[in-house]
Amino acid sequence: MKWEYGEPETLHLDAPGLFILNEGNFQYGNATLSFYDPEARTVENELFYRSNAMKLGDVAQSMTLHGGLGWIVVNRSRVIFAVDPATLRERGRITGFTSPRYIHFISDDKAYVTQLWDNRILIVDPQRFAVTGQIECPGMTMESGSTEQMVQQGPYVYVNCWSYQNRLLKIDTRTDRVVAELTVGIQPTSLVLDRNGKLWTATDGGYPGSPYGYEAPGLYRIDPERFAIELEFRFRTGDALTELQLDGEGCTLYWIDEHIWRMDVDAEQLPAQPWLRSRETKYYGLSVDPRSGEVYVADAIDYQQEGIVYRYSPDGELLDSFYVGITPAAFCWK
Amino acid sequence: MKLRIPLLLLLSLGSVRAQQPAVVLPEGWSGERIDIREVRIDGVRPLKEIGIRRTQIDTLVLRENIALSMADVLTFSSPLFVKSHGRATLSTVSFRGTSPSHTQVTWNGMRINSPMLGMTDFSLIPAYFIDRATLLHGTSSVTDTGGGLGGAIRLRTATNDRRGFGVQYVQGIGSFRTFDEFARFTYGDERWQVSTRAVLSSSPNDYPYVNRDRKENIYDDEHRIVGQYYPRERNRSGAYRDLHVLQEVGYRTRGGDRLSLSAWWLDSDRELAALTTEYSDPTDFENRQRERTLRGVLAWEHTRERWKVAARAGYVHSRLRYDYSADKGNGTLEPMIRSRSRTETFYGEVEGEYAPSRAWLLTGSVALHQHRVHSADRTILTQSGEAARVEYDERRAELSAALTARWRPTDRLGLSLVLREELFGTERSPLIPAFFADYVLSKRGQLTAKASLSRNYRFPTLNDLYFKPGGNPDLRSESGFSYEGGLSFRCGCDERWTLSGSAAWFDQHIDDWILWLPTTKGFFSPRNVREVHAYGVEVQASFDRRLGRAWRLGLDGCFSWTRSVNEGDPMSPADRSVGRQLPYVPECSATLAGRLSYGSWSLLYKWCHYSHRNTMSNESRSLTGYLPPYYMNNLTLEKGVSLRWADLSLKGSVENLFDEEYLSVLSHPMPGIHFEIFLGIKPKWGKGSKANGE
Repeated sequence: MKWEYGEPETLHLDAPGLFILNEGNFQYGNATLSFYDPEARTVENELFYRSNAMKLGDVAQSMTLHGGLGWIVVNRSRVIFAVDPATLRERGRITGFTSPRYIHFISDDKAYVTQLWDNRILIVDPQRFAVTGQIECPGMTMESGSTEQMVQQGPYVYVNCWSYQNRLLKIDTRTDRVVAELTVGIQPTSLVLDRNGKLWTATDGGYPGSPYGYEAPGLYRIDPERFAIELEFRFRTGDALTELQLDGEGCTLYWIDEHIWRMDVDAEQLPAQPWLRSRETKYYGLSVDPRSGEVYVADAIDYQQEGIVYRYSPDGELLDSFYVGITPAAFCWK
Repeated sequence: MKLRIPLLLLLSLGSVRAQQPAVVLPEGWSGERIDIREVRIDGVRPLKEIGIRRTQIDTLVLRENIALSMADVLTFSSPLFVKSHGRATLSTVSFRGTSPSHTQVTWNGMRINSPMLGMTDFSLIPAYFIDRATLLHGTSSVTDTGGGLGGAIRLRTATNDRRGFGVQYVQGIGSFRTFDEFARFTYGDERWQVSTRAVLSSSPNDYPYVNRDRKENIYDDEHRIVGQYYPRERNRSGAYRDLHVLQEVGYRTRGGDRLSLSAWWLDSDRELAALTTEYSDPTDFENRQRERTLRGVLAWEHTRERWKVAARAGYVHSRLRYDYSADKGNGTLEPMIRSRSRTETFYGEVEGEYAPSRAWLLTGSVALHQHRVHSADRTILTQSGEAARVEYDERRAELSAALTARWRPTDRLGLSLVLREELFGTERSPLIPAFFADYVLSKRGQLTAKASLSRNYRFPTLNDLYFKPGGNPDLRSESGFSYEGGLSFRCGCDERWTLSGSAAWFDQHIDDWILWLPTTKGFFSPRNVREVHAYGVEVQASFDRRLGRAWRLGLDGCFSWTRSVNEGDPMSPADRSVGRQLPYVPECSATLAGRLSYGSWSLLYKWCHYSHRNTMSNESRSLTGYLPPYYMNNLTLEKGVSLRWADLSLKGSVENLFDEEYLSVLSHPMPGIHFEIFLGIKPKWGKGSKANGE
């Protein structure tokens, strides 16, 4: 039987909405991109393939909108695609990575790309779709290298270092050099900047038997100027905090720790009860609509079928649910 | 000399006449006595096979060419599902909708499944190194070993029963600069048999294919995309070099003892080919796996009129190195992952058989496999900046004991009961019973009804329990209950034609299926998740026909229909996998092999088919996760020339005859049409080269 070629489809995703990036299965190259229109309550799946007649790749990691384009980082395919956010048609691609994770735009012609299994953050020129430089990260080798999410305040970009790491890095975007490090707990998974200009990071604590250590995870509030921990919350050993997110106003923190939790950024105590309890769900992704404050939670189910995304009102009322692709993990608001 | 035939041998093998192959390729140009097919037409049924469903792979199939691995052989000669990640790449085998780790594999009696992974890579077993390959389907595996929830594959080597010196050399040259070499040296006399075999295979393996999963862009001067196309590219980073050496020594005493030693050395250096969705320059990365494994089995066997005892001792030493490195732009590769594992297995087994009468056969066996595994996944820097390995070091003794009673109260009826008990570390399996029965419905055509049922358990592997990160020491054993029934027949007319066939219905339930799933911490971890109900049909048929003095036709075919359904509880309220076929289990598969020979010419046509495979647990046919059905066709033409001083053979094979584009696993490209020619030479060493008894 001869293989069937895909036929590019002309898409028109003109409404604002939510891109959902589905990781797919490691080594199967079956990552996909979905789009949900909250107004119309409709979802479209496998958009990248439908628009380009080619696969998105192996393990889609993150997506960012900048300069009128969507930038999709595909980790194991070692590529970043630039796509038209309305048609999803490819506009360009950047290659030359080891294991890209996230892209953060410093300007129209400069962006940073963090990586796993690499002790470098690569500098790219999004206009030329080219790698133009690199930032050496201290205290890690290629084998233990891990840089993840980035947020920027003024001329400084802050990065959490996750896999077998316990630090945040502070990078001066004017010199493209690491200017400071801050030790937090073991394996900070995510990083956000709240309305008060404070950094928040959450750790997963590692795993039992890890030579790097195993501890109770923590939630940290950090003053970026002094680059020092202001407030630290500790959880129970065995918990794992992931997907730290903020609402659109930057005043409410959300995260996954089996259940969905939320907390005001000015709170001095952790919430006693989860905001949304797990119902045998495998919560894997989390996002808050910056406009409505509605919360979107992805359940990967068994990681081998199309996952589902639940849409909740800010009060925790289930508004909608829709199936997307395998292992929905990352979101991007349009 | 008067031939003395032990009763035990009669009971085990049917009869001396039955043991002889019905069709024997004349020793001549091939220089090797080859069993084409074992078809017993004298009506004596071996006690050892009461109710058993087994598939014996033809020696001729195993000897088709030196480039074939057991994965290639099983793809075209069995109803098993062979999941191949590419040419000369990881290939696993599964029975009846189960997983590869549910297939137990023994080599000369010793289990060779990886104690870390539980499965066996059949692409690393050269078919030319296997003299007898037997598939024990489902319940039948319990007669040999525990843990074979799907079945077991029994691989054996044997020295030729020949006198004098023998040498054989085969050179294969094929597409993609593939070179295969095989050499065998043998020596034998009345007591001793010595054989040395070696296979060396190498290839850059850069076969071309059209990549449907990605496109190349055409840009204008301002870097705008003005066109796209599917690139015709080559398999990237798929080179391999595999060396196998097999040394065998056999000795037979006057007192009826047989001693044998088999030692198999494997030195494999393989790159792991890039996926079709890879966008990096392959020269910037190294993704390579090296394996060095020594397996050795020393066996002793003593046979008397009514009883037999045998003992085996074995050892496996295996080192696996996986390197994943990247060039940071300075021309040197820096490691990203340096995974190292070392496995040692000590094996011992004793077994005995006793036949108190022609109607009874009692057997017992105790086998011990003592594993030690050291697995280091990567090197990290600790919080204090020191290098440390992410590793585990574990030992486990695996004891398996079985008692079997086989009884044939009448000529038509056979009954057999196996009781097996297993001890893995400190965990003990419940008693594993298996019951087999067969009944001859009609002696004309040997029409026999068979039925069997068994319980079975599979313990978690050492990686399942201890791997860092992710090992789960709280895993439960998988357990299964299976039953099957079927019919078989054999008939023939002297040596003019033979026809045999079988059909079986199987049904089994497996609880606590172990599955590695992602965690929120970025690694995978195994869990007991599923209850699986696997059922289906297997049909096999063989036909041989002599068409005049020099013509001969042989046909073998098999078909299987398998449903392997998740019947566990939903993993979440949105779970749509319950009641659905498991991923990567084709519902239908079929093979057909036809061989037409005329004198020293031989034409072999092989065909196989797999229906579509789901890649999702809910049977969803997405655009990006669909593996369409495919049909594979291979053709081989062989000519033998017998000269006074040597036998020569020239063989040409075409694989993927119709250049079909297909995938066995998502994003792993498979080769299109490719060719290989083989030139074999076997010098003659005078009269002594003839086989004993001929």
